[in-house]
Amino acid sequence: MKKLITILVVLISISTTAQSKYEKGMQEAFQLWGQNKPTEAINLFERISSAEKDNWLPSYYAAQVNITRSFGERDKEKLTAQLNKAQESLDAATAISKNNPEIMVMQALLHTAWVAYDGATYGMTLSGKVIRLYSKALAIAPNNPRVMYSKARWDIGGAQFFGQDTASFCKDIEKSINLFATFEPKTPFHPNWGKDQAEGALIDCK
Amino acid sequence: MVRIILIGLFCLVSLLGFSQTIINGKVTDEKGEVIVGANVFLEGTYDGVTTDFDGNFTFTTTDEGVQTLSISYISYDTFKLIVDISKMTDLIIKLKEDVNSLDTVVIAAGTFKAGDNSKVTALKPLDVVTTASALGDPIGAFQTLPGTSTVSEDGRLFVRGGDADETQIFIDDMRVHTPYSPTPNNTPTRGRFSPFLFDGMTFSTGGYSAEYGQALSSVLLLNTVNEPTQEKTDIGIMTVGASLGNTQIWGDKSLSINASYINLAPYNGLFPDRNDWKKPYEGISGEAVYRKKYENGILKLYSAFSSSNFEVTQEDINYSEGVHFKLKNSNAYFNGSYRGVLDDNWSVFSGLSYTHAKNSIKVIDSDIIDTENSAHLKLKFKRHFSNRFKLNFGAEYFITDFNENYSDTNIAAIDYGFKNNISAFYTEADMFFSKKLAMKAGVRGEYSELLKDFSIAPRVSLAYKTANNSQVSLAYGDFYQNPTSTILKFNQDLKPQSTQHYILNYQYNKEGKIFRAETYYKKYNNLVKYDADFASFDTNYNNKGFGYAKGLDLFWRDNKSIKNIDYWVSYSYLDTKRDYKNYQNQAQPNFVNKHNLSVVGKYWIEDWKSQVGLSYTFASGRPYTNPNEVGFLNQKAKPYNSLSLNWAYLLSPQKILYLSVNNALGSKNINGYQYANTPNMNGDFDRRALRPAADSFFFIGFFWTISDNKTDNQLDNL
Repeated sequence: MKKLITILVVLISISTTAQSKYEKGMQEAFQLWGQNKPTEAINLFERISSAEKDNWLPSYYAAQVNITRSFGERDKEKLTAQLNKAQESLDAATAISKNNPEIMVMQALLHTAWVAYDGATYGMTLSGKVIRLYSKALAIAPNNPRVMYSKARWDIGGAQFFGQDTASFCKDIEKSINLFATFEPKTPFHPNWGKDQAEGALIDCK
Repeated sequence: MVRIILIGLFCLVSLLGFSQTIINGKVTDEKGEVIVGANVFLEGTYDGVTTDFDGNFTFTTTDEGVQTLSISYISYDTFKLIVDISKMTDLIIKLKEDVNSLDTVVIAAGTFKAGDNSKVTALKPLDVVTTASALGDPIGAFQTLPGTSTVSEDGRLFVRGGDADETQIFIDDMRVHTPYSPTPNNTPTRGRFSPFLFDGMTFSTGGYSAEYGQALSSVLLLNTVNEPTQEKTDIGIMTVGASLGNTQIWGDKSLSINASYINLAPYNGLFPDRNDWKKPYEGISGEAVYRKKYENGILKLYSAFSSSNFEVTQEDINYSEGVHFKLKNSNAYFNGSYRGVLDDNWSVFSGLSYTHAKNSIKVIDSDIIDTENSAHLKLKFKRHFSNRFKLNFGAEYFITDFNENYSDTNIAAIDYGFKNNISAFYTEADMFFSKKLAMKAGVRGEYSELLKDFSIAPRVSLAYKTANNSQVSLAYGDFYQNPTSTILKFNQDLKPQSTQHYILNYQYNKEGKIFRAETYYKKYNNLVKYDADFASFDTNYNNKGFGYAKGLDLFWRDNKSIKNIDYWVSYSYLDTKRDYKNYQNQAQPNFVNKHNLSVVGKYWIEDWKSQVGLSYTFASGRPYTNPNEVGFLNQKAKPYNSLSLNWAYLLSPQKILYLSVNNALGSKNINGYQYANTPNMNGDFDRRALRPAADSFFFIGFFWTISDNKTDNQLDNL
């Protein structure tokens, strides 16, 4: 019996060292991102994804950093390079985790970055894809706050463009804030962003 | 017990306390410039680092033995070094630039691309439908690009001194045998295909790939949408008819159908034109596209059916009562293709297209029935050796079975026709020597069973990037095409006609602005000549025709300098002469304008939710033969002018009101003159101006889209 416990202890200690390596890496990557070092953060997320072959999160975050820094980028060459890279990361994440609403939201944001860059060129061709991704994500995860928030954000943009009422979409933002309040990520490293943005968007609504 | 703990401890220690190896080096580009921010790591481990401001990297690892060191940086090809870890010190890694990135040189000679993903886009898919003069016809939009002639009464593409037959159209790389709907003599035709089924278009005015044959002047490549984004229903109500479309998606499969009914009777009733219609144009058409995505490929089945008819009496100088013309056309087209990836290096494409076309024509008292059955089969492969070297090769087979039945009051029905089968193969290599220098070289072989002729056609293009935003391209190619059915149905003892293209292109491209200048020389050989007024049975034919075309095409597009305005200007200078058909000597053909100018502008008015557009075309007069003077094609008609306007108003995100007027100023254009066959009493030949059926044409449509996505609309169909 004691023998067994010892073996277990040894095994656990091995697995916890591996675990902490992952945790340490993820924490460091988030720190780098927070310190405004996106290239270093992406590189680290990529290294983690190379070691954690069955985990979609590092690729997801590598994509998110590239997408986030692409909003506002005016250099088309740079934008194309970053978003193509982000697409590769998202493809890698999707290969590990299919029908994942969090990845769908990120894919929709990637398309949105193009629309934000040049609405006249990309608005018509990509808006259909964005809407389809959000409806699919909403069908899978109706209570995911990021799905609710991102979709409402997109709908508000469309309604503002056509000079229509945004009230019903602002309600969706409120709904998302309620969902954020009770949302529990599966692990500390699962997606948990969006609450602050949603609160900001709600202020804009009023 | 103690022993076990010791073993356990030993395990832990051995896990933590492996000897550490240092990996270090420097990352630069091909020129030796340091790369800051490159990701250097051992694959499958956490061990790695980002290069510092001097391009240096240093990290330690506990791994041993042969491992893969991966070095990657955005816009560069990832480099992998597989050696023993002990050898990974003081490395100098040179990364090669990724030739797929946006600033790589492109083979541009002769080619205009329309699509979101092309690197340099002259036209966007939306332009087809928002160009005022195009009226939703892709062909109409391409007519605003340089290299095309203005032959307003015809409507087809006439490229760089070439006849309309010299341009071939392909859908998903498969030939479209009868791309145009038939129309009466002075009315322009339209393409048969609705623009919204396509998301990529390439228009080449010369020097194109060895993959495409049987075209002397030009190819137009249309690619259907791979994956519709959503289910929807489109309803259109127009002054000339109605249309209905629907798209359904089931997982990996989707089906789009589209039907339209056009009847010009009400319009002609309100606005009579120069034709005396007995039965105004009536047409019904339907298209369906089925797509299925597989893990490694995509299957597309496209089919289209259309039927049209009209009956008209047209003015004619030789017949005081006019010429009576009646036409019934039916056309069925099928195009199926599979495109797939076989493994990391190989991809495959196979396709089949089939056309059944029938025209029943009655002219005065002659009855003509044309039946054409044509097919195209193709199989091609692509071998990817690296991003910098790819090899394409393929084989194809064209089948044409054409039959004509003629009868009139004096001649009992006779049948004649031909079978024109052609086999072809091609191979072509795409090479990038660097981001600055690229080359495409290929060769095409064709054997015509009908003419018993084998031809070999080399094609080469080169592109070199001269500065950050500019490049030059060169192209050379030989092109062969069998004589058209109007000749082959009477005589098959001929050779293929041929051209040689020499093209020099300069392109400047920066932030929403494109400037493109292209000069070319084109030589025609073995053109078909005959010795009568019209091609017929008793005419003598030979291949002694020849000709040339040379010119300069300029294009400028800018959508950045003025807010909410997007405009382009095309100018073509064309000097061409040929001796073919029944020409008496080398002359400028009657479908050629020496100068062509197009200006297209679009203005988005935010407050009105409207896009207004204009397009203006100027073309110098085309030649005609005046028999009262000496010579052949001895005079020129007056220049052509047309200003078209359109207005798309978004009533709501899904409802659009669309108005357009072609030739809004009502310019009285004259396309040429028809002279009497016999002189009048004074010994002069009388003439009649060839004018369009109507000077102006206006169009009002209401388009409504019903979908879950409340913002999608048919703006891209207009």
